[in-house]
Amino acid sequence: MANTQTEAQVPVTVLTGYLGAGKTTLLNRILTEQHGRKYAVVINEFGELGVDNDLVVDTDEEVFEMNNGCICCTVRGDLIRIVGGLMKRRDKFDGIIIETTGLANPAPVAQTFFVDEGVRSKAKLDAIVTVVDAKHLPQRLEDSHEAADQIAFADVIVLNKTDLVTPEELAAVEAQIRAINRFAVIHRTERAALPIEQVLGRGAFDLNRVLAMAPDFLDSDEHEHNDEVTSVSFEVEQPIDPEKFNAWIGALLQEQGPDLLRTKGILSYANDERRFAFQAVHMIADGDFIGPWKEGDARVSRIVFIGRNLNRPRLRRGFEGCVAG
Amino acid sequence: MSESVAQFLLESRGIQRDLDAFVVAACFDRSGTTAAFALGDGTLRLVTLSDRDAWQTVEAHDGAILSLAPDVTPTGFITGGDDGKFRRLGADIANFRSKWVEHVASHPGEKSKGLLACAVGKSIHLFDQDGAKLKELPHPSSVTGLTFDARGKRVAASHYSGASLWFVNAKEDSPRRLEWKGSHTSIVIHPDGDAVVTAMQENALHGWRLSDNQHMRMSGYPAKTATLSFTRNGKWLATSGADAMVLWPFFGGGPMGKAPIELAGGDGIVCTRVAAHPQQEMVAGGFADGLVVLAEVNSSRILPIAPPGRGPVSALAWSPDGSQLAIGTEQGFVALIDLSKR
Repeated sequence: MANTQTEAQVPVTVLTGYLGAGKTTLLNRILTEQHGRKYAVVINEFGELGVDNDLVVDTDEEVFEMNNGCICCTVRGDLIRIVGGLMKRRDKFDGIIIETTGLANPAPVAQTFFVDEGVRSKAKLDAIVTVVDAKHLPQRLEDSHEAADQIAFADVIVLNKTDLVTPEELAAVEAQIRAINRFAVIHRTERAALPIEQVLGRGAFDLNRVLAMAPDFLDSDEHEHNDEVTSVSFEVEQPIDPEKFNAWIGALLQEQGPDLLRTKGILSYANDERRFAFQAVHMIADGDFIGPWKEGDARVSRIVFIGRNLNRPRLRRGFEGCVAG
Repeated sequence: MSESVAQFLLESRGIQRDLDAFVVAACFDRSGTTAAFALGDGTLRLVTLSDRDAWQTVEAHDGAILSLAPDVTPTGFITGGDDGKFRRLGADIANFRSKWVEHVASHPGEKSKGLLACAVGKSIHLFDQDGAKLKELPHPSSVTGLTFDARGKRVAASHYSGASLWFVNAKEDSPRRLEWKGSHTSIVIHPDGDAVVTAMQENALHGWRLSDNQHMRMSGYPAKTATLSFTRNGKWLATSGADAMVLWPFFGGGPMGKAPIELAGGDGIVCTRVAAHPQQEMVAGGFADGLVVLAEVNSSRILPIAPPGRGPVSALAWSPDGSQLAIGTEQGFVALIDLSKR
């Protein structure tokens, strides 16, 4: 039952990135490559270049707050309508690609796929892909919150225009990206050229694959700057008590939701043979069992936070406090 | 038991087709001689009641049809599509190119001065009966629902943060803004013109009584309400979005502080469409499993009309005299059922 629904859900890829970073170039590459699949493309009316595709929807990004008592729970009202409309011709495409405006905060797009039942039943977020300009990113990060937010939310980062910087500059900009989001996959490109399977069909929001793309859990204790976006992760080897975890994460998301851009975790619950996958976008959380631990694998529970004002010792103590005992 | 009754009715009094495309909407023309089904493949399928086996296919839009209504004339229909076109049978009324025409409405008017309207993005566009543009009415955010009042004097739109009510003949266009925080996703006006009700993103309804600005909140739905339909004299507002048809009383002071009545519930399946009978106090309801029932409001008697199994009901419409019911589902099943006395 759950499986048939999953198969019927249309995968949705979100493309973010500043004006001029190469978002539309990447989009046109995806659309013109011979992959035999058709995509419905949702663009905003301030797009830089024309998009060459049969099914293009031009939209005004309309972000609104949900009346659910959760201050950071914003959704894209236009996407709720568009996804509903596209489902009327479901047989005409294999996936949806949403291009956001340059300054867009990715949170409302992501939250739309968690909060709206109609959208959730028909479509699922596949990955957030952020295109950044190797030359101008340092400046962008100084100018605005949005550039850092777009990197923080990304599952895949296309580090574009690498031909315009020196190897030293490239290494520096990559280090800057890593300081914000240690868990995204980074692809260095010129003119946004990369195999499209690096961008589409990632399943990054699929609970079965949560953290699958997180390379390794480096746990260095670098010092933090309060207003900057950083990422931290923790592991515990003892089994977790589900009630303690729910109480802790619930209170944490409630209290610090606006700062917590993305949270992902794989947990080993006491007396349970299955892995529990957890993810959240700000305060909106989702979690489910995703099948048994593999024989011989260490049953280590891991959690990742990407956000602002991350108090590492406090988060660590909180997570360690969830150990069953 | 009830399934076999429904199967019997469908076979003995209905005609059915599998059209293999999402049925977006169904409606009858104003004379009640022809039924139309608007499909996700861009075609309009027409059935004339005098020859119910002859179905006509009209290529209406290059894309999906998003909205359907009767034309102002006794026969004919108007449609909006995701190809940006606002059309009437056989002719373009307007082309908005890359913008979707998500809602259409018409009113035959008085002294045959009919009106046509469509919603595109944040605007309502009004046209005269010949399709000449009259005016564009702007809103603070995208229009999510569009309706004329019973007399065709006013047109209303739902949108983020409430609804707007416009006098169509006003010299200077300034709407009455009905405000309520949140996203409003469809709209209906009471037949006597004194109440406006919207469905909201948060599985609730909101209403405004126009004479005294009284707010009405109607909540408790497990799902979003997709259709709102007043019974003939405006006594009840029938709604979808729960595992029954939910009817709110609009008499004796209105629905405030009262419980609604629930009809045809108990199976745990969400009601996806409702359509109040145009003549009698009866309501047709369609459910997520494909079941269609007819319910008499006062006696709560239920008559199953189409059995489950053909996809969630996505379109439901009565002929003007209430003798015919048109049904459509997300899987492309359509039926036309003759409920007239024999």
